[in-house]
Amino acid sequence: MSQLPPTITLTIDGRTVSVPKGTTVYNAARRSGIEIPIFCYHDRMPPLGACRMCLVKVEKMPKLQTSCTLEATDGMTVFTTTPEVKAGQEAILEFLLINHPLDCPICDKGGECPLQDQAYQYGPGRSRFVETKRDFAKPVSLGRVLVLDRERCILCWRCVRFGELIAGDDALKGFERGFHSEVNTPFTLPVKSKFIGNTIAICPVGALTAKTYRFAARPWDNQPVASVCTLCGVGCALEFDVRDGAITRTRARESPAVNDIWLCDLGFFGHTYVHHQDRLRTPLIRRGGGLGEATWDEALDVVARRLRAAAPGRVAMLGGTRLANEDAYVAGRFFRSVVGTNHLDHRTDAPPGGASLLAPWGMTSSLADMNDADVIVLVGCDITEEYPVIWLRMKRALDRGAAMIAVTPKGLEIDRFIAHHLVHRYGSGAQVVRALLEAMSGAPNGAGETGGVLRDAITAAGARLARAARPQILIGRGALDAPDGAEIYGLLRELAARLHTSVNVMRGKGNAFGAALAGLLPDAGPGGRPLAEVRHDLESLWGAAPSDAAGWNAPEIIEAAGQGRLDVLYVAGADPGTDAPDRTRWTEARGRLPFLVVQDAFLTQTAQMADVVLPALVAPEKDGTVCNIEGRVQRLRAAVPGPGESRADWGIFAALAERMGKVIAYSGWEEIFDEMRSLIPGLEIDARVPRQGSRIQDPGSRIQEARPVDGADTDFPLILVLGDVLFDRGAMTSRSTAIADLAGEPWALFHPEDAARCGIGEGDATVVRSRRGSVAVRAKLSPAVLPGQVFLPRGFDAAPANALVDLTEPLTRVRVTALAPVAGGAEGRKEGGGPL
Amino acid sequence: MTTLRVRIRQSLAILKGLAVTFRYLFRPPVTVRYPEVKRAAVQPRFKGRHWLTLYADGMERCVGCELCVIVCPSQAIYVRAAENTPEHQVSKGERYATDFQINELRCIFCGFCEEACPTGAIVLGREYELASFSRDAMIYTKPMLTEPYPGASGRDPQREV
Repeated sequence: MSQLPPTITLTIDGRTVSVPKGTTVYNAARRSGIEIPIFCYHDRMPPLGACRMCLVKVEKMPKLQTSCTLEATDGMTVFTTTPEVKAGQEAILEFLLINHPLDCPICDKGGECPLQDQAYQYGPGRSRFVETKRDFAKPVSLGRVLVLDRERCILCWRCVRFGELIAGDDALKGFERGFHSEVNTPFTLPVKSKFIGNTIAICPVGALTAKTYRFAARPWDNQPVASVCTLCGVGCALEFDVRDGAITRTRARESPAVNDIWLCDLGFFGHTYVHHQDRLRTPLIRRGGGLGEATWDEALDVVARRLRAAAPGRVAMLGGTRLANEDAYVAGRFFRSVVGTNHLDHRTDAPPGGASLLAPWGMTSSLADMNDADVIVLVGCDITEEYPVIWLRMKRALDRGAAMIAVTPKGLEIDRFIAHHLVHRYGSGAQVVRALLEAMSGAPNGAGETGGVLRDAITAAGARLARAARPQILIGRGALDAPDGAEIYGLLRELAARLHTSVNVMRGKGNAFGAALAGLLPDAGPGGRPLAEVRHDLESLWGAAPSDAAGWNAPEIIEAAGQGRLDVLYVAGADPGTDAPDRTRWTEARGRLPFLVVQDAFLTQTAQMADVVLPALVAPEKDGTVCNIEGRVQRLRAAVPGPGESRADWGIFAALAERMGKVIAYSGWEEIFDEMRSLIPGLEIDARVPRQGSRIQDPGSRIQEARPVDGADTDFPLILVLGDVLFDRGAMTSRSTAIADLAGEPWALFHPEDAARCGIGEGDATVVRSRRGSVAVRAKLSPAVLPGQVFLPRGFDAAPANALVDLTEPLTRVRVTALAPVAGGAEGRKEGGGPL
Repeated sequence: MTTLRVRIRQSLAILKGLAVTFRYLFRPPVTVRYPEVKRAAVQPRFKGRHWLTLYADGMERCVGCELCVIVCPSQAIYVRAAENTPEHQVSKGERYATDFQINELRCIFCGFCEEACPTGAIVLGREYELASFSRDAMIYTKPMLTEPYPGASGRDPQREV
């Protein structure tokens, strides 16, 4: 296996070049620094030979050859600059420009266009074509973010092949033939993809441009700032292009270990919230029922006074996933050493007693390991919705022959790539995983079904699993937060032990990994070290030590607030009003809470209920570091200044400490990071920090038996399945207009049979009602969801999924009524949660 | 002896020089008493104040391509483009300049912008009285630069580029 592929030697322009066998002439030339112009070839995709631009002369070959498709052979003699080649290149460029409109002055690609550059460098500089050019209607809008100009297209097929080979979503296709060839979507419908921004990036002309960047700037206007995307947990490297103090667009930055050269559309188009007019500019203080603007001095005085007055054990802090590592660390220091409480937790969305609180969040494998997997076990994780760029790596593994085994309560978008897809009834995931383990050991499974999955399918999946050599096991929120989540997690650990690997816990958005690492956990300090162990170090660094006793976790904090055992709750970079699993419980807790401080960039659902709101910076305005889901520490660079008087989160905690008579003084993020490095071994920029596993107890001791799934309920016949989606309408995404439009109105997914029974059709306005509450959503029908179940996405502020949930019940049961004037519609109307 | 000869030659040279002075003393001056007196017309190729010209139908020629911005050696031009809509069609095509500013204090009147312009939108006119009491007033904005009616800048609105 380790032997190198045989090397061959060829001569290019008189230069002797040695390359591994199988290399194309184009790549051999590029490797030795000889430039050959090209359009269609992209080094992330196999050669195609469509544009004919890379012509070279090869000795003993009668005609010019396309170097991108020609495999180099031993002793080959290649010329790239002979008059013959030059004439060929000029002819090809003249041909390409025959139908190109040359409307560079109005084209967004102008100034960074490969066609422009190569026409200058290799083109003839004139055209003999005087006839009418190809004429298409332009520009064509393909959905919310993509604009197509077919006249500019040179038919290199990069975008089409991206959808086929890399994303697997076949978003764009080639239509017609010959002179009439064009790239388009079927019937010019809005493009359906989560990765369409990448096609804009790889388009070598201005045929595909972004609606969000349309005419916003020329490349020379933009100041690129290298930073990191914090919108999901993958932490893709990106570049913000800044013009006049505003982000004009986002581009992927090459990072082989994380995102390669790709981003998802949330990363491409989801950063416009930064400049939204709703950003908080001044602190707000509740006066006589309403929140009114105040100065920083007033607001900090009020907060410091309330924190001083409260007993340390009656103060708690929630949040951290939206903070940088340094912010989270200073938050931890402030609450542990100045306030004196250990009630800190960033896991605001974890249900009490669930597996989300047991499992250490993050991956043990690296993202790059995904490429090499031969079996991927995906349990309760909708990878394209939650961590889309990881899917691109999985797709590569699948293309190389890996098999994917998915155990999910709902069909996935990537169904056709999943070899063994076990879609089970919600709440039966553990049964299915157990059956899978049994099948893997070869136990006879018999016929019939388990949890809604045919046993034959489980047997086949188990047999494949038994042959796994390089398996990857991933568990997501859909399994961890399920009623039998702890059991699933325990079974997967067992599976991992048998396969000599470990379970990747795909949990946590933004900088959740970094928040845990910095110490925003009730029972662990910086580096995930137990409080008793880290206490000594903290005392010498901070001057005051936290107590050893573990604090409350997030659900316990909310419960304590609801029982009146809390005086001050400080929420920083989190929105428990939206994220907490049970909204009713949160609202009750807020009602009994004397004082709530929220530190955020927008007036979130939580901030609207706060007593004091402090305006904070968001990630593109911060300098510092963040961790992604595999624990890679990456540098965050401030692209733009914050609006109004908003401040960095760590600065707010330092200012509060000063008002409470203690000193937390840092000159900047570097000093905080250095201090963190002294506490956390292995903390280096661009290095991976291991997942903090020390705080997890043996699951055997704490895992509860799966709560029994009670029988059917005739009033509420459907079972609610919640899940995260990439495009939603939360505090930030609803203010990134492109994302809000991609998300559309709040929706829910019904099985066509259930829909027919309830009298609802595709796109109908409906009310989903549980015993707890109701939400108004548009109905979508799909067999992806099992009969008897309904899928409702989280993250829509207008249809808060957590308003339906009652945590005392293992499953949430709902019924659905149409709002449209159909039979029985009058009743539905009365029930409605307002017009949509 | 030699000293005396040198002195005489020097005195003659002074008288010769002064003769030129006196000759011009009684001729009318070449210069005019600006600003009281102004010249009738500048040379045809004179490069003065900028204009953004219009087509004969009133459409703006400028498409906001920013080629003048990148070619300007003194970085005096700022352009921000936007998209035309059927309800708000400013120029021909998809794109127009929503903001166009020239800092006349920075400008060196080289005329590169006029040469770079693909639509012949920006031209340098004949006006040279460009002074103000404040620096701000010397940043010419789009309403100041756009010619008030087609041809007002002195260029033919029908011309082809």
